[in-house]
Amino acid sequence: MGEFVSETVVESAPVAKADERIAHRGPLQRWLVSPEIGALIGAVIVWAFFWGNARTFGEADSTLNWLDVAAPLGIMAVAIALLMIGGEFDLSSGVMTGATAILIGLMATYFGGDGIHIGWAIGAAFLAAGAVGWFNGFMVNRTGLPSFIVTLATFFVLRGVMLVMSKRLADKVQVAEILDQEGAQTLKGWIAHEWMFTEFKGRDFLFVALVLIGGAAFAYGLLEQSFVRRQGLSLVDMALSVIGLAAAAIGFTVLNRTDGVGTNVLWGVVMGVGTLVLALGLSRGRWKSRSERLSGTLERGVVLRVGVGVVGITLACLTPIPLDRGLGVPVLTWVSSGFRPIIAAAAALVGIFLAVRAAIPAIRSRSLRSELPRLLFFAPYCGLTLMVSVLSFFQLSTVQGLRAMAMLALAGGGVVLLMSARGLAGRSNTGWQLGIGLLATLAILVLAFVVRADAGAVRFRTGLFTAMCIGALVIAANTLLEFAMEKRRGPDAKADRLGKRLQFTGFALAAIGMVIRVVWSNLTPEHAERVKAAGGTVGQNVLRQPVVWWLLVAAIGAFVLTKTKWGNWIFAVGGNKEAARAIGVPVEKVKIGLFVVVSLCGCLAGTLIALRYGTVQANQGTGLEFEYIIAAVVGGCLMTGGYGSVIGACLGAAIMAMSTNGVQSTGWNSDGRFAFLGVVLLLAVLVNNYTRKKAQEAR
Amino acid sequence: MSSQPILELRGISKYFGNVTALEAISTIVEAGKVTCVLGDNGAGKSTLIKILSGVHQPSAGEFMMDGQPMNFISPREARLAGIATVFQDLAMAPLMSVWRNFFLGSEPTKGIGPIKWFDSSFAKRTAKEEMAKMGIDVRDVDQPVGTLSGGERQSVAIARAVYFGARVLILDEPTSALGVKQAGVVLKYTRMAAERGLGVIFITHNPNHAFPVGDRFLLLNRGRSLGDFAKDQISRVELSRLMAGGAELEAIEHELGIG
Repeated sequence: MGEFVSETVVESAPVAKADERIAHRGPLQRWLVSPEIGALIGAVIVWAFFWGNARTFGEADSTLNWLDVAAPLGIMAVAIALLMIGGEFDLSSGVMTGATAILIGLMATYFGGDGIHIGWAIGAAFLAAGAVGWFNGFMVNRTGLPSFIVTLATFFVLRGVMLVMSKRLADKVQVAEILDQEGAQTLKGWIAHEWMFTEFKGRDFLFVALVLIGGAAFAYGLLEQSFVRRQGLSLVDMALSVIGLAAAAIGFTVLNRTDGVGTNVLWGVVMGVGTLVLALGLSRGRWKSRSERLSGTLERGVVLRVGVGVVGITLACLTPIPLDRGLGVPVLTWVSSGFRPIIAAAAALVGIFLAVRAAIPAIRSRSLRSELPRLLFFAPYCGLTLMVSVLSFFQLSTVQGLRAMAMLALAGGGVVLLMSARGLAGRSNTGWQLGIGLLATLAILVLAFVVRADAGAVRFRTGLFTAMCIGALVIAANTLLEFAMEKRRGPDAKADRLGKRLQFTGFALAAIGMVIRVVWSNLTPEHAERVKAAGGTVGQNVLRQPVVWWLLVAAIGAFVLTKTKWGNWIFAVGGNKEAARAIGVPVEKVKIGLFVVVSLCGCLAGTLIALRYGTVQANQGTGLEFEYIIAAVVGGCLMTGGYGSVIGACLGAAIMAMSTNGVQSTGWNSDGRFAFLGVVLLLAVLVNNYTRKKAQEAR
Repeated sequence: MSSQPILELRGISKYFGNVTALEAISTIVEAGKVTCVLGDNGAGKSTLIKILSGVHQPSAGEFMMDGQPMNFISPREARLAGIATVFQDLAMAPLMSVWRNFFLGSEPTKGIGPIKWFDSSFAKRTAKEEMAKMGIDVRDVDQPVGTLSGGERQSVAIARAVYFGARVLILDEPTSALGVKQAGVVLKYTRMAAERGLGVIFITHNPNHAFPVGDRFLLLNRGRSLGDFAKDQISRVELSRLMAGGAELEAIEHELGIG
């Protein structure tokens, strides 16, 4: 066997490109500058955080639990995201969910003596909600007032009407016994069904199918590229591929037969490493030995970065010594309680300052008048978030927390500096590049062991430890590869690109399969017995239909926004209303349509609430409009309109639901949720800002 | 004259109450030629555009397309008749990609039955091709329009108007916010649009921009025509002198004791 095609064939000049300065942007780079990236990173971090710190988080019943919390929020976040991209707000959206729920309850229980059929009640509620949405849109169009003034009026009107109606008809501020009405149970079976099960059987099927399809696509993509770039596989390549394939298959098989969080991770790692080896074997053909080693002078800053990075990592390793283990011991007690409000107020001011500063370019480029309402809305919000975060920080801060934060900052900063130094050195001196790369590998390994020895929560420790080990492995492999090899050029750019796309798709599919499998650790009957024996409670798994509605609404929303002309119009109406009008987009119709969609989604959420609980409070939903807006903003929607994503809004809703659920299951003070949300919101918005700037850089 | 002009203005006047915005303006726009409308602020340039693009109706006079008298009652009608207007800064949504902007309002769709989706691969391909015909190599049609330079943005708008079958292209001060080099780019594309057989109306207050591209010059001052010249009837110096206020400016210079 061996290499059966000479190198020279491939070394011939590649097909002339239109402009050699323009690097091809692969699907990964494209995706990295998409609006939902901040929310995705946030969701992963939040999930990993609670997975590590809360014992039950990540079990199937807990996942179903937060999905249930996320569903109504997600339905509304999708609608609000569309509306925000169209450049408007709807403050009546939260109360709309409660108002429609109350309306359905009142109609089904009290109208015409002993109530009308609940099906008619729901139909009427949808009509009423649509009318209110139309009115909102009509008023915004006709008066030209900022939508948050108009919808604030709607908010108060709806609230008042609902309170008065429920007091007069039901004599109290709640409507109960909705589910006792005629036909209610049947309807619940159709609209708000609850599927009970002890095991998610489809999980294993999904996992196997996704990994097989994804793995096949990935391997085929690699092969395609290898052939394009060298047209052949050597014996070593094949040996590596076979070994990797075997390891991946073994990991895959065992993973498919056992359960439990620990084994999932272990065999997941075996499978992952096997896949890496397989990939190495298949992709070796795309690399060739480096023709020359660079040994020029180092660029400025390399040595400084290495020095500071090493100091940071050393300090991170030493942090556990002075900050002695004291799980849950509060610190910052020296800050007297009288002093805390002042610090909180200062934080609020900082928040307002940041908000105002962020809005300055927008104000300069547009007119102050059109920006003022949004600023008035945004600045207090930022201030409030930061204030609540600081207050909650005092409540939550323990030695454990402080140490974790210090280590994260020092170690993260150190590793980032080392990696940046490696990249810089690679331009002029390959020897230094190799050295710094290996140093980074070593540093991460040491840190991994420090974390293993130090961290409190066992799952967090093992999870982080494996992740860091894999990361170190990847960096080492990459460093060695770059030192010894350089990439070949493919003579056929199109086939090359096809290979890359296949790899990406395959990887994504397999990763989704892995996530489903690892996230969803079923409680086996034996495990359940053990939990019961230890005094724990074993939850019945319930998948509620609202989750299905949420996914449906999200799918339709995402399709309409990105794949239809209405989506194009929504972007244009929010991005530049006058341009859209001038070019013939029916701006008024689009806006009215968006408001109607928000109201109808509100009614859907209201219906689900009424059928879920059977009892609705008159103030149900009040204040939730801000959560919808936060979900949309975390998901990458711009406060000024014209930019955003439906998928991002869904992820934003998931983050909020996970925080609520996760903080409860860690057993912390549940007010800590706000601190968490505040930090996540701020981080997500920062990441979104950064990627949007990247997206707007000239290419 | 080789053929009938696409657009002919005969004594167009426009009054807002007792304000005379335009008084008896006449000129012609021929296929493949650029007619420049020059005038200082308040000369009536925008009123003229608004009449041609169907926003306003003339109070007196008429304008003909292909010899047929036209009376547009809305911008939509003007657009359907083939008159496309590229406004200076209102043309695009900056955060939307080039191809989304290109097909905004006239999205190509394909689909099964009632479910229609935006044919994005066609849109991307066509946008790139149409821009290439204007001589612009858009590296990535997915990039937001906000990342393009001012001149490139104008040319996207011009390419879009050409693609959607415009016969008369009205460019409203396309060079006024641009630097020297960018203005040159836009002038080149203006010429290119004319060479592809469109009648172009180029509005500007800068005679140095108008003279290289124009085939005909209509000068406006306070709503009245200072003259309608073919290129061989007027020199750059004369054009500049008329634009700068001509006799009026000389009088001012005399008063100030400079002249």
